[in-house]
Order: sequence, then structure tokens, then C-alpha cells
Amino acid sequence: MVQITVEGKTEEQSFECEQDDTILRAALRAGKGFPYACNVGSCGNCRFQLLDGEVEHAREDAPAWGERDLKRNRYLGCQAHPKGDCRIKLRFDDAYTPEILPARTEMTLKAKSTITHDISEFFFELKTPTPFLPGQYALLGLPGVDGGRAYSMSNVTKEGSEWHFQIKRVPNGAATTCLFDRVNTGDTIKLDGPYGTAFLREDAPRDILCLAGGSGLSPMVSITRAAAVSDKLKGRQIDFVFGGRATRDVCGREFLEELPGFGDRIRFHAAISNPGPEDADWDGHTGFVHDVAHEIFGDSIRDKEIYFAGPPPMAQAVQKLLFDLKVPPEQIHFDEFY
Amino acid sequence: MTDNPTPTRLCGTDDVEPGSALLVEIDDLELAVYNVDGQFYVTDDRCTHGPGSLSEGYLDGCVIECDFHNGAFDIRTGEVVAPPCMVPIKTYEVVVENNDVMALL
Ligand SMILES: Cc1cc2nc3c(=O)[nH]c(=O)nc-3n(C[C@H](O)[C@H](O)[C@H](O)COP(=O)(O)OP(=O)(O)OC[C@H]3O[C@@H](n4cnc5c(N)ncnc54)[C@H](O)[C@@H]3O)c2cc1C
Ligand code: FES
Ligand code: FES
Repeated sequence: MVQITVEGKTEEQSFECEQDDTILRAALRAGKGFPYACNVGSCGNCRFQLLDGEVEHAREDAPAWGERDLKRNRYLGCQAHPKGDCRIKLRFDDAYTPEILPARTEMTLKAKSTITHDISEFFFELKTPTPFLPGQYALLGLPGVDGGRAYSMSNVTKEGSEWHFQIKRVPNGAATTCLFDRVNTGDTIKLDGPYGTAFLREDAPRDILCLAGGSGLSPMVSITRAAAVSDKLKGRQIDFVFGGRATRDVCGREFLEELPGFGDRIRFHAAISNPGPEDADWDGHTGFVHDVAHEIFGDSIRDKEIYFAGPPPMAQAVQKLLFDLKVPPEQIHFDEFY
Repeated sequence: MTDNPTPTRLCGTDDVEPGSALLVEIDDLELAVYNVDGQFYVTDDRCTHGPGSLSEGYLDGCVIECDFHNGAFDIRTGEVVAPPCMVPIKTYEVVVENNDVMALL
């Protein structure tokens, strides 16, 4: 255990960090609001300046880290393992203070089921139950795969004994190939979580719009499941837009249909972006999720609480649309799936 | 905000080197004070895109580049000049008197 001391805006703060942990994750485990998003070295939001001590990056090729950072002695909190006590410079931010402290445990695969040709749902049981907020994600540690990968939970749970994940197979992807082909029912893998700030805001007095691009399905399903039965959100309209490339990618309706209020206050919309010869029978929307959402809801998007998840190009297109529509940033919650 | 006409002192003119920026905290506000060849400008310090601090960015003429994701703003108007930033940064009117840099907060 080493000590990390933080020079920030206010008086000095400090927290303990196991040497095999990263500085960001240890800070969050200690209840500190260390800014971050992806947890896997891609977004760069967890940058801090190292004033004293030594750290080592878990991922040498972290996309968000470069020459300039090295020159200024900056590191990524989510990748930095401390080699001893460290002194760092960083401003904590309450928006990142975790409501549920992330913890490391293990979980066992109970079952899996197929959703589309490349998306499956995985049902895990935790060794040490931990709750999470709808929309949050976890880091999965898979055998023989370097570094944890982030996956968002699809279920809703109080005590947290089960965490479910809807995951898209990436061709030749290290983690997804392992998960789809080598992890069998009864196998145990590592889990670290919950993480993420794109969770359901039950206090937001607005109708809800969920936008899921492909692999972004999981957290949007969790948020919709929770919102459907939330007392505070009673009577709120919930619109769910799923976007895929072709008909065979479309999914999501099956999870919403089970919810009270489906077809009435809960509505499902689907869009495909690349219709081909096989999509001749497609009678849903055509276009990218953000364009289709704009088409359906127009300027009324501004009055909604908006949640979205998906690959970076989708997430960026949605952000651009919401900015152009002047949606207040406080109403927008998302994860980019690097 | 603007109904408080008294400028607030942020720092001395010598505290910010030409071509650089300084972080100044006044109550709950975190401000970046820039010196462009003796002209002073003030904006919010916290980037509108994420957790970046503009006073730690790279100042090139009147453009501040955030060193988190290389988004950039024109510090005279607050306008975005490079993505991924989209929302303009808030700017403040500056008054320099004697050797004091002041702003209308
Ligand atoms: C917050 C968040 C939530 C996500 N939620 C979901 C979800 O619910 N469902 C879903 O299907 N996908 C989700 N993803 C995407 C997922 O994490 C993986 O990127 C994707 O499954 C591809 O992984 P792969 O190993 O199979 O592919 P690969 O192509 O082998 O690896 C792809 C990703 O892993 C990263 N990577 C490579 N080496 C390392 C390392 N040493 N340490 C850490 N990262 C490394 C790469 O930068 C790249 O982004 C999410 C991503 C993020 C950031
Ligand atoms: S949280 Fe560390 S790079 Fe994204
Ligand atoms: S935080 Fe400034 S560009 Fe992203």
C-alpha cells in the first residue's frame, strides 16, 4: 500500500493505493472525485501531473498519452501504477465522486444467450455482491487478455449479486474473442466496478431519450428498465432509439416489450444506416441514430433528459446534434465505447 | 454578475508572463488570465469539453489550446476554433489599472 498525496484546489488530500491498482481507481475506491471517463487509456480525461514519485503505465500504447504528456510529467490516472508514495497535482471534481465505491471481485458465468448475429448477453454471478447504478460499466479481466475491458451492465439490481452484460463481438478482438469462444458457463473471471457517470438521473424532471448505437445497447437497456419502474419517473415518456447497420443488427425491442408501459409511455424506434439488398423488407427508419432521432423528435429533444452510448463516431455525432439544438449540457449523459 | 460594476482584482500585470496564462481562483470561480504581448484577457479556466484546465494549455497568439484533447478557443471572444470543443468558453471584460489586472465578474 502506498500513499498518494494530491495538491489541488483546496487543502491537500491523500488516499491509499495498492501497488497493483491504478491511481484513478484507488482514488475512486476512496470516494474521491477524480475526473475520468473510459478507464482504458483512450479518452485522456484522467490526466494528472506527477510532482514527486514514480509511476508506470499499465498500457504503454495508451491512445490518449503522448510526447507532450511525457515532457510535462503528465500521466493517465487509469493507467498509472504507483511504484511508491507519490505526490500529484489534480483538481478533484464532485461530478465524479462515486455514489457506489468501485471494488475488485470475481464473477462466474451462469448463462449466455444470443441477441443478434454478433451481440450476446452474458449473465454473471458475483463472489461479493456489489450494487451499481443503471447505465454504469465495469472492467472485465479476461484470462490471457492484457488490461481490463469496459462493458456496461444491462440489468437492474438492488443488492448486486448478478451483473448482466450485452456485448458485441469485435472481429479478431482480443477480449470479445476470449469471452465469446473461451469463457464457458461455470468459469470465473475478474471484475472491477462499478464505474461511469452516465447513469440514470431519477431526479431529472423530464421525459427520457435513450440512443443506442450497436454495442451501446447494454447501458440503454439498463436505464430504460430502471426508468420504467422508478416512482420518481412515473408518467414520464421514455423513447428508445436503436441504430444498427442493417436489419440483422437491430435489437432491443425484446427487452422493452417486457416492461410495464411498453407501447404507451415506453416506445421503441429502430434505424438502419446501410441498407443493402437483404434489407428490402425493412420498414423502420433509415439513417444514423442522431439524424433519425432529430427526424422523430425535432426540437423537442431540448426538453428531454438524454442518455446515449455507442462507438466514438456515433457519440460525437450525437454530441454535435445536441449542441446545435442547444440542449443544456446538464441534460446529457453518455459513454463513448472506445 | 454584470450588475456588479466594480472590477475585481485578479493579479498583478507582472504575475503573467507575455504569451502565458495564470490560474486565478476567486471564490467559486476558476479563471485563466492571459497575457498576449501586454494585452490581458480572462476566461473561465475549466474547458467546456472536459476536465482540462486552460491555464495549463498552449497559448498561441489569441488562441488557447487545451492540452487535454487539443480543442481550442479564441480568448477574445470565447469562440471555439478547434474541436472537440463545441461550447464557447465564457470570457470576462478586463480592466488594467496601474499594475493590476481586474475583471468584471
Ligand atoms: C465505458 C465503455 C463501456 C463499454 N461498454 C460496452 C458494452 O456494453 N458492450 C460492448 O460490446 N462493448 C462495450 N465497450 C467496448 C469494449 O470495451 C471493447 O472496446 C470492445 O469489446 C473491443 O474489445 P476487444 O478486446 O474484443 O477488441 P480489440 O480490438 O482487441 O481491443 C479493442 C479495444 O481495447 C483497447 N485495448 C487494447 N489493449 C488494451 C490494454 N492493454 N488495456 C486496456 N485496453 C486495451 C483498445 O484501445 C481498443 O479500444 C465499452 C467501452 C467503454 C470505454
Ligand atoms: S479514463 Fe483514463 S484515459 Fe479515459
Ligand atoms: S477537456 Fe479541453 S479539449 Fe477536452
